[in-house]
Amino acid sequence: MSDLQELIASVGALRRTLEGRGEKAPRTPPAAENSAEASASVDPSSAIFSRLSNVDPARWLARLRERLPFPVPADVSREVDAFGLDPPYLERARPLLDFLFDRWWRVHVSGLDRVPDSARMLLVANRSGILPYDGLMLAHAVERGHRAQRRPRLLAADKLMSGPFAQPMLRRLGAVRACRENAARLFDEGEWLSLFPEGGRGALKPYRQRYRLQRFECGEILSLALRRRAPIVPVAIVGGEEIHPVALRPEKLERLLGTALPLAPTLLLGPGALVPLPSQWRIRFGSPLEVGDLDPASAEDPLTANRLSERVRAAVGELLEDELERRDSVW
Amino acid sequence: MTAARCIAITGLETFEGRGLAERLLEDPSSPRIVALDVRLPSELEGRVGYHPLDLSEAEAGPRLAEVLEKEGCETVVHAAFLPRPTPDRERAHELEVAGSLRVMGAVASAGVSKLVVISTAQVYGARADNPAYLSEEHPLRPPESARALRDRAQVESLLRMFSERHPQIATLSLRPCWVVGPGYESAALCHLSAPRVRLPLGFDPLVQFLHEDDWLDALVLALRRNVRGAFNLAGRGTLPLSTLLRLAGRRVRKLPHPLLSPATSLRWRGRTGEPAAAFYAYLRHGWLVDTARARAELGFRPLYSTREAWLSRFVGQRLRKYA
Repeated sequence: MSDLQELIASVGALRRTLEGRGEKAPRTPPAAENSAEASASVDPSSAIFSRLSNVDPARWLARLRERLPFPVPADVSREVDAFGLDPPYLERARPLLDFLFDRWWRVHVSGLDRVPDSARMLLVANRSGILPYDGLMLAHAVERGHRAQRRPRLLAADKLMSGPFAQPMLRRLGAVRACRENAARLFDEGEWLSLFPEGGRGALKPYRQRYRLQRFECGEILSLALRRRAPIVPVAIVGGEEIHPVALRPEKLERLLGTALPLAPTLLLGPGALVPLPSQWRIRFGSPLEVGDLDPASAEDPLTANRLSERVRAAVGELLEDELERRDSVW
Repeated sequence: MTAARCIAITGLETFEGRGLAERLLEDPSSPRIVALDVRLPSELEGRVGYHPLDLSEAEAGPRLAEVLEKEGCETVVHAAFLPRPTPDRERAHELEVAGSLRVMGAVASAGVSKLVVISTAQVYGARADNPAYLSEEHPLRPPESARALRDRAQVESLLRMFSERHPQIATLSLRPCWVVGPGYESAALCHLSAPRVRLPLGFDPLVQFLHEDDWLDALVLALRRNVRGAFNLAGRGTLPLSTLLRLAGRRVRKLPHPLLSPATSLRWRGRTGEPAAAFYAYLRHGWLVDTARARAELGFRPLYSTREAWLSRFVGQRLRKYA
């Protein structure tokens, strides 16, 4: 109580000094009991100014951001799971993913009924396009189409998970760096995983090599799936190669700069090159791989691992060729 | 489980040394404490046995062995590490690496049965190719330019060799992630709780924090349980760095990381003697630790989650400000 009296006294003193200096007195902070008469006596011009001074562009921007139909990096996550998946972020991204899936790429999905309903699973697909849209569309296809309604987590290449910008975004959408330890942990938690064993080699290959499977990396994750008895499901994704067509890989320049330099003709559009081209997509799921003759106990044996990897590669390649023939048009 | 009759602690000036001594003194059934440091904190005077010892001196090893034998200590907690990197790297190396060697030598010759060394999870290094959760077997790869952390990694490898050579002595190294609490200070906390935090643009790693109380609990558990080896320690759960900074009401200024290090380098180098880039790696890449081993073998159950541990620092600050 004495604090309040002190405050009133000091405001009064301030007012007297200001009036003494011939300046306009500051408006007293409207206390609860005299706010009504204070607002009645305010002249209209100062009302406009006081309203203007309440304008807070930061708050407007925040409100605008909340209404956007897609997530932005400035959205701060609340709770995340052990690998950084941010469910509200994913929910916010869903309209955009739905749009890409249904309208932009008109994804045609087949063979999902052959995918079993097991506790853990490894989906293995061909990699295409520079950014990992194929992984996102694959997860979307499984989540929307499969009876288990589970979303496979994307095992992403090191390049994607170590560089700036892509990493936090992909992590919040459920991606995890593709390595043995992470896969083992996720299998233990009973997750479905999607793997693109071609990695960056598949993502950045020039257009004339489109849909030609590159060498498979990540053999140890395939072996791990065998050891944990997770079904390995081959998947073919057709259409991803045309979203960011790479015309040229200038090898000498790349060696000089020490980075990959996929020159796409769309780069002429400037930032517009980030918009993927609207090709027509087909995702086809195969039956789980027959691994009855491979011994899970010796999964880490290089010979077994190699046979497994070759078998997976052949299965994905077969599906891919089959699906390419079925596609009638790129767009 | 054998309860030791006498515990020697080196480094009473550090948070770990003093905190552990106070925690042990609270419990009347706990063993006698022998403190070894260049000076004794005044609040511990008369409550613990004290022998002055400077581990950065060459004759510290035999002196320590003599004290350990005379007092009949069964357990040694080696906490004499600098809480933050200092520009005087020669002295720091002498204290941390050579000092640890002297402790190990004294432990081997004085018939001590257990050696607990305070380490940090930062010795794993924040690398782009780390798995999401680092296990105790993961190779230690601190940043090349972080000399203080490389010293700590060297202590770890010396300790591993020591424990292979002396299987009768149970050696433990405790590797906590960033410790946080109202009473704890470190270079990382100092950076992260500034009113404006500089961060690398385009990165937002998941981080873990361990509350200082949980950290001391883990130390006590390490003394009581009959275990050996390295143990990762962290609070429950993990959160992105951006979320934690938002919760604490910090403002964030983001710069591309090649520009960031020069921007803060002078100040950082002046305080720590290391380039800031060595620290910024920890704000770019994940270095979460897997605490499964500590849970199973130590019975470590952190009371605080990462979020609660982090916020405890700011609640404390607010109380101090208005008290």
